[in-house]
Amino acid sequence: MARPAGARASGASRDPALWVTVAVLWALLALFVLYPLLCLLARVAMDGERLSPGAALAVLGDPNQLRALGNSLLLAALVGVAGTALGFLFALTASRAGFGRGWLAVLDAVTLLPLISPPFTTAIAMIFSFGPRGLITYHVLGLKGVTVYGLASTFFSETVTYFPIAYLTLRPVLAAIDANVEDMALSLGASRFQVFRSVTLPLAIPGLANAFLLLFAASLADFATPLILAGNSFPVLPTQAYLQITGLFDLRGGAVLSFALLVPAFAVFLLQRYWVSRRYYVTVTGKAGARTAVKTVAPWLRPVLLALCLAVAAVIAYFYALLFYASVVVALGANHAWTWRHYHVIFTEGAKAIRDTLVIAGLSMPLGGLYGVVVGYLIARKRFMGRQAMEIVSMLNYALPGTIVGIAYLIAFNDPPLALTGGALLIVACYVFRYSPTGIRATVAQLQQIDPALEEASLGLGASTAMTFRRVTLPLITPAFFAGLGVVFIRSMTAISATIFLVSINWTLITVRILENMTELSLGPAAAFSVLVVAIVYVVIAAIGRLLRALRAPDAVSLGGILGG
Amino acid sequence: MDTVPPAGVRVEGVSKRFQHRVKGALWAVREVSLEVRPGELLTLLGPSGCGKTTTLRMIAGFEEPDEGRIWIGDRDVTGLMANRRDIGFVFQNYALFPHLTVFDNVAYGLRIRGLESGELARRVGDVLGMVGLARYERQQPHQLSGGEQQRVALARAIVIRPRVLLFDEPLSNLDARLRVQMRDEIRRLQKELAITTVYVTHDQEEAMAVSDRIAVMSAGEVVQEGTAEDLYHRPATEFVAQFIGRVNLLAGRVVDAAGATVTVDVAGVRLRVFHTAPLRAGDAVRLAIRPEAIVLAPDDPGAEGEVVGAIVARTFLGEKVDYTVRAGAQSFLVTRYNPGPGAVLEEGQRVRLTLASDAMQLLPVEG
Repeated sequence: MARPAGARASGASRDPALWVTVAVLWALLALFVLYPLLCLLARVAMDGERLSPGAALAVLGDPNQLRALGNSLLLAALVGVAGTALGFLFALTASRAGFGRGWLAVLDAVTLLPLISPPFTTAIAMIFSFGPRGLITYHVLGLKGVTVYGLASTFFSETVTYFPIAYLTLRPVLAAIDANVEDMALSLGASRFQVFRSVTLPLAIPGLANAFLLLFAASLADFATPLILAGNSFPVLPTQAYLQITGLFDLRGGAVLSFALLVPAFAVFLLQRYWVSRRYYVTVTGKAGARTAVKTVAPWLRPVLLALCLAVAAVIAYFYALLFYASVVVALGANHAWTWRHYHVIFTEGAKAIRDTLVIAGLSMPLGGLYGVVVGYLIARKRFMGRQAMEIVSMLNYALPGTIVGIAYLIAFNDPPLALTGGALLIVACYVFRYSPTGIRATVAQLQQIDPALEEASLGLGASTAMTFRRVTLPLITPAFFAGLGVVFIRSMTAISATIFLVSINWTLITVRILENMTELSLGPAAAFSVLVVAIVYVVIAAIGRLLRALRAPDAVSLGGILGG
Repeated sequence: MDTVPPAGVRVEGVSKRFQHRVKGALWAVREVSLEVRPGELLTLLGPSGCGKTTTLRMIAGFEEPDEGRIWIGDRDVTGLMANRRDIGFVFQNYALFPHLTVFDNVAYGLRIRGLESGELARRVGDVLGMVGLARYERQQPHQLSGGEQQRVALARAIVIRPRVLLFDEPLSNLDARLRVQMRDEIRRLQKELAITTVYVTHDQEEAMAVSDRIAVMSAGEVVQEGTAEDLYHRPATEFVAQFIGRVNLLAGRVVDAAGATVTVDVAGVRLRVFHTAPLRAGDAVRLAIRPEAIVLAPDDPGAEGEVVGAIVARTFLGEKVDYTVRAGAQSFLVTRYNPGPGAVLEEGQRVRLTLASDAMQLLPVEG
């Protein structure tokens, strides 16, 4: 990933400011990344003072829990395949079917919705549609006693929620395939389909693998969708771990279950880092050839592709419209009279959750943005001992499922001397170290595009190091700062898997309230809360997107590029 | 490698419009007609944006002409896709398949044609030998140098024994030395295989080195077609005279146009040039003369030459010396080859220039 600019990077030995920064960062990483994970590990492997991994194995040996592990992997694999296929369809339509900006804007807008919503929004809409009193199953089809809970609906809901990640990952991959290479294959006599099969598809393989891994990890870590939709018949690990802790007050059992997630999650992390990233092909070499129209998508296929995408887009649009509708009627499925009652509820009874969430998101945002830029800058431009270790450790909380991180924090910070659970500080720390890595990567990506000669030119013109940083480097990484900050904000508003373990009477979050509302079957307020979150995030995203365009951020640093993972 | 009976290429009144963001609909190519004889190498030469690449891509089937027809052999291919035209194409950026080895890149077209594997391996081996990459089969494209990638691209295009070979600025990504070597190799292979070839370049020296004939294009149209010698010695327009080689263009007015010679007044000097087209006294004309065709001598007593001037600049280039000579309001570029030690004239030296009647070309005034 990040390589320092060779001999040009300056050393730590003659730069005390660098030294202090690195030391402070390591202290923070040790406290908020390494220490909690070690506590989790200790809790899993130790029984009191004794080392006894046997007890941990016993929990995993339970056939129910084994089934949960199997279910988790099955679900993740299904979502990975289906979501990647759907993402590929959208990416192919967007980058190679020759449609104008108008259609692409429609596809982009619709696929943005799941990315900026709480991860269980689709699940809620599924209940509204297909639940016991669902709009479609009960009211339209008149079916009674159908159950929405189980593998099929969880799979469907997660696929709709996460396929935009695959779309955002695959679109640049497909767009980067030089159409001249496809022309070349055509000139050698290949048919359109042969070109697609023998050139386009193989060149997209690394992107497809990456998209699959991202979706696999997202589904594996997803805790809210199964909590709402999986039901008793289809237990998965993250929900089992949560129920173990909140239902049975068995912290150790929860820790062991979350730990079982670590192995596949870590495998995905390693595959991405050491396999996928080295297999991307560069098709444009030397001077770019003549611009050429993509010919591999046959003219008759274009409307077909577009129609398929629009059908999926219609499903998403329907889900969100339904969510909004549910928030403004008395009781969806029973009484469809117009009312503002649910909004009144969330702004009175729910006002604290809204306030807390905004305070925490407001604190996490600048801290996370700053942290991301500083770490990214150090990794990309400076040379110091443990640089690569810092890069990996800073990615850990991001790569691990939220359930693991949440339980690890709960174990590490529950007792003195670091009794931080229940406080805002711990939630903020969780968000900063979990969601800033996108900012780190944006900063690294941006700095890698900038020749260090630019900074040298400034030094050569007589500017000091500090002045060079302020006048040259800082403006160049400002877009990455805002992009990273934007992602931290979105996640702070929408995340749940880690922080559900960290909320308390004193500090709670909207997403947690939504889940509570869902389990209490007060669907109206749940819908109203969801609409509010989507609205707030959308406004902030639009503002940051505008800012990024004004700052002329490169594509790699656009919010879309970052949300794609 | 055995040869296929070469086919000619005929381009008939082909035009292509494109939409410019600011200027609206423009002609990229306008009523271009070309005839490439079987086994011949025709080069489309012109500055960037002249329409040469678009013309080539229409022959390949990558672009569709708005008007006109294209024939390969006796087949009208105008409506056919590239995969039905039986062509070999060499791209400026090579367009190698990055996921395939050298062998698989070259074998691609043969596999599409369903060749049996023994025959396939034999033909790939042969053609890699021809381009000097015999032991490179297992290499990946990114492991190769630019010159080697170029050879793979060439091998991949010729292994299918296409009826027509098309080159789009194939050498522009190579350094100067390699360019000369590769263009000689392309020419050698093309002659050996006798494949009808259309070659696009903006480099006039490259065009002269590889071509049987050259079509010079400007602003979407073919302005002149002929051998390198035709174009150099008998340019039809100022544009061609300036684009191919270096030239002195002298503005003048016809003084007397009787018979086969025309007398032209250029800044007060009367020059005689052979010309047959009807001209009248008073017509504005341009005289074109190559720098090496002007005879230059020191202005010693008894020296010949109708133009008297002084050297204002000189550039020593080893095998030749370029002089800029100023005579009144007119300046001349004069080249002298192999001057030998001590024979280089100094700046400020007064000289006489001889502009022989048969070395000059009379061109119509443009615009």
